[in-house]
Amino acid sequence: MNMEMINYKDDGQFCSGHVACAGCAEALALRVIMNAVGQDAIGVVAPSCSAVILGGHPMSSVKIPFIHGTLESAAASASGVKRALVAQGKPDTTVLCLAGDGGTYDIGLQSLSSAAERNEDILYVCFDNEGYMNTGGQKSSSTPLNATTGSTPTGKSTRKKNLIEILAAHRIPYIATTSPSHLNDMAAKIKKAKTIRGTKVIIVLIPCLPGWGVADNAAVKTARLAVESGVFPLFEVEGGLTYTMTKATKTQPINDYLSLQKRYRHLNDEQIAQIQQDVDEDWQRLTTRAIEADV
Amino acid sequence: MDDMQRSTLWTDALSENRLTGTWRNETPDYRNLPSPCLGACPVSGRIADWIGKVEKKDYRGAWETLVDNNPFPAIAGRICHHPCETACNRAQLDETVSICALERFVGDTALSEGWAFPAPPANAPAQSVAIIGSGPAGLSAAYQLRRAGVGVTIYESQDQLGGLMRYGIPAYRLEKSILDGEIARIIDMGVTVKLNTEITGAAGLQELRVRHDAVYLATGASRPKPLPGVDYDQPWVQDSADFLAATNAGQDCTLGAHVLVIGGGSAAMDVARTARRLGRKVTVLALEPEAMLPAQRAEVIEATEEGIEFVTGAMMQSAEPGTDGLRIRCTRVDFKRGTTRGAFNITPVEDSEFTLTADAIIPSIGQDADLSRWQDLLAGDGPVLKADASWHTGLDGVFTGGDVASMDRFVTQAIGMGKEAARSILVYIAPDVGAADAPADDPEAGFSVINTAYHPLAERNKPQNADVTARLGNFKEVQQSLDQSQAMTEASRCFSCGTCTYCDNCYFYCPDMAITKLDGGGYEIKSDYCKGCGLCVAECPTGAIRMQEDL
Ligand SMILES: Cc1cc2nc3c(=O)[nH]c(=O)nc-3n(C[C@H](O)[C@H](O)[C@H](O)COP(=O)(O)OP(=O)(O)OC[C@H]3O[C@@H](n4cnc5c(N)ncnc54)[C@H](O)[C@@H]3O)c2cc1C
Ligand SMILES: Cc1ncc(C[n+]2csc(CCOP(=O)(O)OP(=O)(O)O)c2C)c(N)n1
Ligand code: SF4
Ligand code: SF4
Ligand code: SF4
Ligand SMILES: [Mg+2]
Repeated sequence: MNMEMINYKDDGQFCSGHVACAGCAEALALRVIMNAVGQDAIGVVAPSCSAVILGGHPMSSVKIPFIHGTLESAAASASGVKRALVAQGKPDTTVLCLAGDGGTYDIGLQSLSSAAERNEDILYVCFDNEGYMNTGGQKSSSTPLNATTGSTPTGKSTRKKNLIEILAAHRIPYIATTSPSHLNDMAAKIKKAKTIRGTKVIIVLIPCLPGWGVADNAAVKTARLAVESGVFPLFEVEGGLTYTMTKATKTQPINDYLSLQKRYRHLNDEQIAQIQQDVDEDWQRLTTRAIEADV
Repeated sequence: MDDMQRSTLWTDALSENRLTGTWRNETPDYRNLPSPCLGACPVSGRIADWIGKVEKKDYRGAWETLVDNNPFPAIAGRICHHPCETACNRAQLDETVSICALERFVGDTALSEGWAFPAPPANAPAQSVAIIGSGPAGLSAAYQLRRAGVGVTIYESQDQLGGLMRYGIPAYRLEKSILDGEIARIIDMGVTVKLNTEITGAAGLQELRVRHDAVYLATGASRPKPLPGVDYDQPWVQDSADFLAATNAGQDCTLGAHVLVIGGGSAAMDVARTARRLGRKVTVLALEPEAMLPAQRAEVIEATEEGIEFVTGAMMQSAEPGTDGLRIRCTRVDFKRGTTRGAFNITPVEDSEFTLTADAIIPSIGQDADLSRWQDLLAGDGPVLKADASWHTGLDGVFTGGDVASMDRFVTQAIGMGKEAARSILVYIAPDVGAADAPADDPEAGFSVINTAYHPLAERNKPQNADVTARLGNFKEVQQSLDQSQAMTEASRCFSCGTCTYCDNCYFYCPDMAITKLDGGGYEIKSDYCKGCGLCVAECPTGAIRMQEDL
């Protein structure tokens, strides 16, 4: 067989017994991230699925301490934790901040923007499941065009917010996207971010099983098709200006990606064509910015 | 601070106290399943296994796996009709894996390295089996019996071993040195060989039955089917079997300059291409329209490349010697395939007569098994000998297989039948050996269980043919072998259907850390935590793990 082997090391930093849905890609991503971040770290988590998965008192699924902050202020809390660590003479301890897309694109955006503007030394990971999912599935500004959610029952009428461009405008040292279909890429990006001082933001696409209407065993497949169809390109932005594609090819039309998800079940041909056109244009814009560096 | 102290400072307990296994109603089950190629393979060779070894450059291991079921990988790698490739899952992604060419690569490596079969137990065998006929069926049975320590004597009417592999299949498809090498390896295991020893009939068979503990009768099917209306005594008529036996033995061809071969099957192609190599102009006359010729497509194409002419959808009516050669009167026919194998209906097309000229004709319309000589002892079943599922004929201790007992007339079919019969013979002569394990009725690892995301498109390494100009005028092999690097990349195209490759995907894709890697290799599901999501199964590249409902 001609395949890339998964090669990160699982040191047991993320534990069995957590309460993520069966087959949840966010738990899968947490497994990679917690092991890549390692033991010398303190976490802050915004209310979100990840807060639930990490575990309410008295049980924790991770071996580093986590502060459960508010939805508005995760990045601010993380900034404070980091400054306290520096004051204690522990500047090398990683501060990991986890939040959902609701807590990042919407409710926590101003505190993230402020932290980014100050270039706080935090590693901020956004689990982007394109909606407010642990509260039952409402739309966020990350929900894509035409996707149904509990609060957009006939499909969202506007596009997904381009958070990367917003963050890039802050000229922070590192922004990246990654996907639970590409675990080596995810581990590598977390490790790379850990070595950089300043604000790092990594956006992880999380196909939400109940929220998107995806089968229990299909989160990885859905995420993979998102990458391969160019819906969710894998890339890095360094210093806000240097774009690098980490997967430089787009090999699939969007149809298979859409058809795995109930939230797109109502689409007509015209709407599909519209989405395809948007994806193609975005891809074109992105890749012309990027230096091709396929890994 | 150690791990535990650090964690207990800020939390009471880890989530491992919560047993999420109670959520589950299906559990993953590791189980290697048969690949479709294996299901189609007449010798049931564990293809995914040995190709995996080729990929790891373990050629010796690959060969050992191969010869477990088939002592002739270099032969099969050349002339097997390779139903495995038709069944190969990879054909549904891009193109089939070149299984046959890989088998040849391994078989040739073994011959050039001089690998031998392990010597059977040194002590003199307690039992012996007589094998009548040294074609692939007889030799395969001899090999399997000898491996088990049983004494074997082969009785062969010809002066050399091999059956149709030697006297039928021409050297440009199967070089004699390859045939000799793979047969010698079997004989070297201590097989007694009686050449030029024809067992002529029931009495001879009885005598062997008394002298040995069991008899395996594998005399093949070599009696030519006569073409009605042809006088075989004419000097310008030669039957295909005689023609091929003579030319394969290196004898001169006495036929005239232009040969008409009658028949459209594989044997007819062999006759035509042999005659062509002997400098003859060759025309093939067949009842079937071109697209329905029973020969394999590649053979027809190669014959055409070599300058052989085809007259198809037509029938010979008569042949008479004229002033310059034969005048062969023909008519066009309307050909309809029948419902059973080989059956057909033809209707001559009115006013479609035409005449061909030639110097000789070689009818090549198939061969029958000669059952008459055994008829006092053995029952027939239509055109073949009767046998039960264990290849027993009904005459105590006499087993059969190959062309004489089956219409599946291919070398590897004969090898497979020989292997099965050897197993039955062992059970018969030494009942404590025990019958073969009943095949597990596991489902096949079909295309739907392969995760093709892990198998990027990759062009097939097809065996190449020698240039047409280099083929004529000699009997050098047409099909070339893969070189080592082609073999490696071809082996890596195999999906390994149903066979775990220890890639660790299942382990890494579990969101619940519910899979343990075992020290000695392999994996185990932690039933305390597995939620039954099926991600491990979905992300398995090979289909070696499946969900089973919890009962
Ligand atoms: C021209 C030709 C080309 C072919 N090409 C292919 C091919 O490319 N691929 C493929 O898979 N198959 C091919 N076949 C079919 C294949 O050769 C046969 O199916 C296969 O050889 C059958 O094996 P067997 O052991 O049953 O019989 P055989 O190979 O026929 O061997 C029988 C042996 O028994 C001996 N024998 C017979 N009677 C007696 C007796 N009374 N006493 C002692 N010995 C006896 C014979 O001399 C012979 O050696 C071809 C057949 C022909 C005719
Ligand atoms: C200010 C505020 N509004 C509402 C909530 C309730 N709430 C908790 S989590 C959540 C959804 C968060 O969505 P997202 O950040 O996308 O995370 P997900 O649940 O999708 O992982 C909401 C609305 C809150 N905690 N704070
Ligand atoms: S891919 Fe390999 S194991 Fe699967 S059917 Fe083809 S040859 Fe057999
Ligand atoms: S991925 Fe893990 S939890 Fe899901 S079925 Fe497999 S072992 Fe169980
Ligand atoms: S995922 Fe890999 S290691 Fe797991 S069963 Fe399949 S082939 Fe074996
Ligand atoms: Mg969300």
